[in-house]
Amino acid sequence: MRISRALTTLALIGFVALMLLPLYSMVVLASAPDDSDLSGLRFHGFALFDNIGQIMTDGRFPRYLLNSVLIASAVSVLDVAISAAAGYALARLRFPGRAALLNLVIIALSLTPAVVMIPVFVALSEIGWLNSYQGLIAPFLASALGVFLVRQFALGIPAQMLHAARVDGAGELRIFFLIAVPLLRPALLTVLLLQFLAQWDNLIWPLIAASEQELWTLPLALSSFEGEHGIVYHLQTAAALLSILPPLALFALLQRYYVSGLTLGGIKR
Amino acid sequence: MTRVMTRSMTGSEARAGAGLAAPAIVYFVLFWALPALAALYLSFTSYDLSGTPEWVGLENYRQMWANDEFWASVRVTLLYTVFAVGPTIVIALVVAVPLAKPGRLRAWLRGLVFIPAVMPLVGATVLWQVIYSTGGLADTLAGAHPWLTDSGYAIWALLVMVIWKYVGLYVIIFVAGLQALSANVFEAAAIDGARALRTFFLVTVPLLRRTFTFVIVVAVTGAMQSFVPAYLLTKGGPVNATQVLPLYLYNNAFSYSRFGYASAIAIVLLVALLVFAFTQFKLIRSDEE
Repeated sequence: MRISRALTTLALIGFVALMLLPLYSMVVLASAPDDSDLSGLRFHGFALFDNIGQIMTDGRFPRYLLNSVLIASAVSVLDVAISAAAGYALARLRFPGRAALLNLVIIALSLTPAVVMIPVFVALSEIGWLNSYQGLIAPFLASALGVFLVRQFALGIPAQMLHAARVDGAGELRIFFLIAVPLLRPALLTVLLLQFLAQWDNLIWPLIAASEQELWTLPLALSSFEGEHGIVYHLQTAAALLSILPPLALFALLQRYYVSGLTLGGIKR
Repeated sequence: MTRVMTRSMTGSEARAGAGLAAPAIVYFVLFWALPALAALYLSFTSYDLSGTPEWVGLENYRQMWANDEFWASVRVTLLYTVFAVGPTIVIALVVAVPLAKPGRLRAWLRGLVFIPAVMPLVGATVLWQVIYSTGGLADTLAGAHPWLTDSGYAIWALLVMVIWKYVGLYVIIFVAGLQALSANVFEAAAIDGARALRTFFLVTVPLLRRTFTFVIVVAVTGAMQSFVPAYLLTKGGPVNATQVLPLYLYNNAFSYSRFGYASAIAIVLLVALLVFAFTQFKLIRSDEE
């Protein structure tokens, strides 16, 4: 029994090591001074900070980084605001348009982005929003998942709390901002995190909506790294490493919100 | 008096509700409902972005039906979906069962196994470009092969990367499902003298039915819409061997400016996804009755 448990543990460690091998190799490659050894198994000196310095001073990389930070932040904050308001209203208020909103959320949840991508592209090109920040942000201002997550969470707010505030004469908007929003904090953080990560990693929309390099984001820059510098793998890998650090840090800080967002509906009823 | 008060309260509730919901309603109409209708309309037209869409009826769908490249793309997508989802779920479950048990070391391993799933997909795919390059990690570990440039290897090279990227996500979901199960069930099975393998197939797997359904829906719909790995690693090549449907759609729209035909592909993809989701939904329903 004890031996079999030890063997299982050993096998698990082996599996995890295999999963992490590409990451180890990423650090090795990003730290290499040149492309002479691409196997990524052995360190040949440690040039990681030189490489990062080179990326940050050479070319437009800082601009791409700034664009990514700006767009992902704007999208996630606006999405949280719009989803929180709509999700709360859907869960706790009776108002004209409630059924319409519910239907719209269900429609958006069942559609694939591939379907709406072309018409949105055509519409934005008609109004001249291609190659603009608003064109990169507007299509992601809200999300069906965000509204849905907040609604599920808002259903759990005790009715007495809202009722007590109403008896005290608080207006509905006051109740939303002063009572509901603080209680909804975990759901709002989950939406914020998921949307930030999704936008940070969004390749397809900037690919079609931002042909001008001033508006490129990190995913776009990484995907055409070769074009600008020739194939310089150690620099490309250092840039890729730089791009995965913010999401990993956010994840480490907000792990429980991430997992609760992922498993919603999967385990709980 | 009471009546007046109730009415005025409902009035303010209605105003507040409509105000809070309005931005979301406008957004979903402008960016989802109307574009979806427009996509359906465009799929019956010929349109290259210059001029206006020209109505061609079912011509795009007829062309698609007769197009070998479309069917090749459907086959690649099916192969990709089956071999991304199947191995991922099997590996995830086999790893999750021992990993779900308590213990400080196991808690650490659970965190570590999740890291590839948290990495941005684009950064991860760029890493695998180097892994599959000449003299890269793949060559070093498995011998030199044309991983991304031979049509026999390319799709499997993509699949290895995708399985690596997502297996940790499903490990965590299975672990959560397993930890929600009562320990009593497993104790009872152990007292009955059931061996580990028997317990796994006769107790664990059936009890995880709900988690399975969720995982399969997420994994299959995700795989069917996967774009980034094929776009970045192989651009759909060599000779369309990795041109999954989303990439075929992208190429038609944004490389050949065939927006009508591309819209028809999008509609077909949507119908396939909805049919799959609906079938799963029916299965869950019949399961619960």
